[in-house]
Amino acid sequence: MGSVGVSLPRELRISSVAREGIFPVEPPERESQANPAAGIPEDAALAAACRAGDLHAYERLYRLQGARMKNLARNLLGTKNDAEDAVQETFLKVQRSIASFRGQSSFVTWVYRILVNTCHDLRRSRMRRKETVPEKREEGVMPAEPRAPGGHPSLKLALDRAIAQLTQHQRDVFLLYEVEGFRHAEIAEMLEISETASKNTLFQAKKSLRQVLEAPRSSQAGGE
Amino acid sequence: MQITCRDRKQIFLDGSAEEWTGLELHVASCAECAEEVRAWKALSAAAEELRDYQESPALWPRIETALVQQAENSVIGKSRPERLAFWRSVPMVWQTVMAGTLVLLMAVTAGYLYLQSGPGKGDPNNPLLKDRKLAEVERSERDYVKAIDKLAAEAKPELEMPTSPLMASYQEKLIMLDSAIDELRAEAGQNPSNAHLRYQLLAIYQEKKMTLQDVLETKR
Repeated sequence: MGSVGVSLPRELRISSVAREGIFPVEPPERESQANPAAGIPEDAALAAACRAGDLHAYERLYRLQGARMKNLARNLLGTKNDAEDAVQETFLKVQRSIASFRGQSSFVTWVYRILVNTCHDLRRSRMRRKETVPEKREEGVMPAEPRAPGGHPSLKLALDRAIAQLTQHQRDVFLLYEVEGFRHAEIAEMLEISETASKNTLFQAKKSLRQVLEAPRSSQAGGE
Repeated sequence: MQITCRDRKQIFLDGSAEEWTGLELHVASCAECAEEVRAWKALSAAAEELRDYQESPALWPRIETALVQQAENSVIGKSRPERLAFWRSVPMVWQTVMAGTLVLLMAVTAGYLYLQSGPGKGDPNNPLLKDRKLAEVERSERDYVKAIDKLAAEAKPELEMPTSPLMASYQEKLIMLDSAIDELRAEAGQNPSNAHLRYQLLAIYQEKKMTLQDVLETKR
């Protein structure tokens, strides 16, 4: 499980140590893991620079969060091209609406909220065009292919398929928490739900995933 | 901390570090909880398979270009003459009042125009007659036909045996007019609202009436 971010600053990387063991003690909340605002001390300054129209600020935001934004978008949309479109559209929306950002949440959390909503919009428009996710998946981003060195193709494929069966809300929370390493407080801000709702949704998502992922195994055992 | 199997779900949902430690101790002696915790952790571990932060070298230049273009468009938009700048300085209450007045004015104007173009007030050149106008035309036609029939009855002896070239020409003219009347009445029967046909028919009736009057005057 060495697929830790290769382009993110060290402070933004998600520690996988806790997940290596079979029975590691799971921390109740991720204080330092991938906390976007904590990882970017200049969060407010970055927001101010973006508001001032400083293109370097946008580039800084991209360097800090672009890879993770693209990864989240790809997991939500299924293809690399759609993911890149979503990230680009998110940056454009940020530029258009930065004046309305009042700092109630962290700037980066606000950006992710826009990204998630943009992904939902793209997904809906794609559904309207009756393009299903499996049909749209590109060769380069097929879940069977390793996304990063050391990947486990069959596990990715199974997980991709299982995640596709979750509700939109469950998928959002699972990906944000388990894949991108956000805390429930951040997810709550991004999805405009309560922390408790985020925790409950994650629990339900993992329960559903477990049922889906374990179903073939039990049916195989039953068939033997 | 003493943890039992019943605490497991709550710890999965929102357990503290202390509770997780307690659960860890508990699973050492509970096979069922050990399997549940293993599956729970395995999902988190598997989720890392979906993490791929590889660079897309072309993405930032693409975003940068789009941002610059959007910023330029925004500047161009702002630099345009602000024709409605005065409108923004008007308080919202007055904006509402002015907009309401404008809508009311437009409604009154539209109503006036509708009434002016309504039934009975239309353009006489309108190619289609309304019901009321059609009734008026048909009444006039009936009046003409009655008057013409009376005149035709009086002029009948002269026209059956014309005694002069003038009377013979009146006879020919009346035959032509009757033929035209028959054709127009047939067309008007198929399209009663056609104003053009109706006016032509009335004009021919009028001509026939005048011709018959001329016949009677020549007779005297």
